Parts: sequence; C-alpha cells; structure tokens
Amino acid sequence: MSFLGRRQKVAFEGGGLVLFLDVQDAMQAERVLKKAGYLVKLVAPPPELRKGCDLAVEVNLVEQPGIERVLNQEDVAYVSIVPLKIGTSEILEIVKVTDFGRWIMVKAANMKLTFDKESGVIVNTSGGGCPDIPYLHIELINKLLIEAPRPSDIGYTLCALMLGRALEESVTLQQGGK
Amino acid sequence: MMLIAGTVPIKDLPLTIAEVSIEGESLVVDGYNIPRTQGTGAMVGAALATTDYLKLEPPRVLLAGDIGQGRGSQQIYEYLIEKVVELSPTVLALHYCLPDMSLTRRLCKAVDGCAKRPFMIADAASMYAAKAAGLAKDFDIFTPDATEMAFLADKEATHPAYIARHLFDTDIEQTPGLVAKAHKQGSLAKLVLVKGAIDYVVEEGNIIATVTEPDVPELEAIGGTGDTITGLISGFVFAGLEPREAAIIAARANRMAGKFAQATPATRVGQIIDQYPDVFKEYLCQWSGVCYTEGDN
Repeated sequence: MSFLGRRQKVAFEGGGLVLFLDVQDAMQAERVLKKAGYLVKLVAPPPELRKGCDLAVEVNLVEQPGIERVLNQEDVAYVSIVPLKIGTSEILEIVKVTDFGRWIMVKAANMKLTFDKESGVIVNTSGGGCPDIPYLHIELINKLLIEAPRPSDIGYTLCALMLGRALEESVTLQQGGK
Repeated sequence: MMLIAGTVPIKDLPLTIAEVSIEGESLVVDGYNIPRTQGTGAMVGAALATTDYLKLEPPRVLLAGDIGQGRGSQQIYEYLIEKVVELSPTVLALHYCLPDMSLTRRLCKAVDGCAKRPFMIADAASMYAAKAAGLAKDFDIFTPDATEMAFLADKEATHPAYIARHLFDTDIEQTPGLVAKAHKQGSLAKLVLVKGAIDYVVEEGNIIATVTEPDVPELEAIGGTGDTITGLISGFVFAGLEPREAAIIAARANRMAGKFAQATPATRVGQIIDQYPDVFKEYLCQWSGVCYTEGDN
C-alpha cells in the first residue's frame, strides 16, 4: 500500500533514555540502534539523570530488553536505561505466587506463568499486552521450565522482561521443591 | 461495522483488513489462518462468537504480524490514522501492539475527524499507550486486569513494569482506591471493567457493579481470558447494549464459560471460547433481555 512507503517525519515520544558516560558512546548507540530498526533520538538528558555525558538516546521504554540486547551485542558501553519521567518508580522486582494444587502460578508485574509442579512443564502464560507476548505464549507452552526459550533472549519488550522474571522464579521454585 | 485492530504472532503476516470467519479451531482472515490463542486472536474469537450468536455482521479485523519488533504495530496505526474517517467504524477496538504514544495521539486526532465518532475500546498495550499519552478520556472503555489497574493509578508509569511497588502489592479488594486515584488524575476511560477475582464495572470513576460469580480462579492463569472479555464487550456494544450492561454480561459470560469448560490452569482459551454459544443460549436472555428462539433471524 502506497501510504506505507512514505517516510513521515513525526514527533517521537519514547518515554525512556539510554544514559552514557561518554558522548562517543551515545553517538555510536544511536547509529547501531537505528541500523537495527529502532526509532531513537539523541537528546540532552535532564540534569537529574545526567551520568557524566551531555548526550543521551531517547528510546521507546517498552523496547528496553531488545535495545539492551543490541547494545550488548554491538559492544556499546552504556550506564542504564531509565524512564524519562522523573519520579517514575524502579522496575518491579517482586513476584507473587499462587498455588493451584497441581499447578503454581508466578506473577511478575503484569505477566503470569503457570507450571505443573510434578513435571515442571509450563501449561500457560497470561497477562501483558505487547506484541511479543502472544509469540512467547506459543513458544513457552508445553515446554519444561529448564528447557523453554528465555523471554530475555527472544522477546523485545518490558512485558517479555517480566515474563522472564516469572520464568526465573518458577525455575527456582521448581528446583527448591525437589 | 465493528473494527478490531491488533497484532498477531505470525512474523510475516502482511497488513491485512477483512471480515473474519472461523474454520475449525482457527480464525480465517483474507485466506490467512489466525490461531485463537492469547492476544488479538482470542479477542477476535470471542467477538466473533458473540456476533455469530446474535446474527450480526462479523467483525472486520485489521491485523499485522509482529513478534515484538514493532513494525506490524506501526503499520496498523499508520493505516488507521490514514483511513479511519473513510472506514468510519461504529465500534473501534484496539488491542495488542507495541505501545507508541505519538501514534496513539495521531490516531485520536484522526478519529476526531469522523462524522460520527466510533465507540472506542482499548485493551492490552493500546490501553497502555492511551494512558501514557494522557488520552484515556478519548476512550469509551478500558478493560485492565488488577495489575493494569494499578498502572492506571500510577501517574508516572508508562508501562506496568514500572508501577510503584506499593500499588503492585495491593490485592483486588483494594481496587476501589486505585480507581479513585486513577480517576482523579484522568487516567480512566468513560467506562472501565477491571478484570479479576472481583470484576469491577466503573463508570465515570464510580463503581456501579461488581461480578463475583461463578468463582473460577483458574481463569487468571489461562492466557487470553482477559482478551476474551474485551472481545465479548466489543460484541455486545456493537449489538447495541449499553456499555455498563455489556461489561456486566461480558464478565458473567466469561466466568460461566470457565465453569462450563471445567477450567484448570492448563486449559486453553479456545476451550473457553467454544463454550460461549451454550452460555448465551442458557443465560443471555435472562441477563440482558436479548432473547432468541429457534428460527429467529
């Protein structure tokens, strides 16, 4: 469809910043992320978020895990990826566990993973709203916890990051239960 | 026309818009088979089950393949921005996508140009983007789960992974407090159905109903059972029910389908969707006054 081929210059509201210690690293990051297909923008970080460099790269915060993977693969040094809004909470680290008898459900933020206690097989994943989640649902179901692909390896979004947390905790629970 | 837009986990599926039908276990859209699994597939499956039962025009769906890289999501939003006035859907339901505040802002602006404003429903990351962009009030219905309700209540969060810990720690019974907080800061759609052990129906910030029966806690573990509720509401609104009635009946029907399916945490969402015709046949008339007898058309 012709309209899809048109390049439109539009405002970018990413909601996240990659912080650096060095200007050169910020410029290299912009280059490699654009090459990988991410929409990014070089910006001056607000004073509260400065880590020694006057340049930061604005990114779509939801894409944090995929962006970290590209930067690590390309050996680009960065300090951290943080929300642009001052006052935003730290990323959630805690999980909640629900015992369904034969099954255990582990919840990390908006993501849930449920496995069979005896066999260690993932029977369901639920929650979330990003496009990699239905894909991960198909990829993880019916796999053993220890053999399932890691959302951090094949996912791209914060939903995937949280599903990965739920998987890690499930593995710990399963191993502790034996 | 009801138009449902969202991504599906088929990497190479091009941008596709067509009426949806069902063949066996799969949805069929312009010759492509789409699984009724967690996400847009489950949502569309539930909406189609509703329109089929009520003998209404099936949903049109706008789909694109996307496994997280965002290209399909962008195609969907760009298409809608360009075409929404021409398409002029009665109901526009936005679902799985890579949340993008800028594209959501442009879409809402485009919708303002419609001669008759579509009834706007958002769930999943389309809801995240609407809230993060401060556009919640442009929407008629949001359908968050309990954690997503906490996200709506956290003014600064742009994704549920970044909600404040004390909000995540609250259980479903604390939802009224979260609703009040979210309403105060303008993060709620006109009507909100909070999906959980207790389903809360919220209108203009006030809790007007709760649904707790039948109690099927296993539904929370089943991927796609929140998506199906959104599909049911979309179908009932398209059928002409008042939004509050659509929300209450959707919550009841989903729970009852879980009961009919004798759901366990290992049940698949397709098994839940398959129960809707029987649930509707037994309860829809009683719940809504929408009554059919054999041979009606």
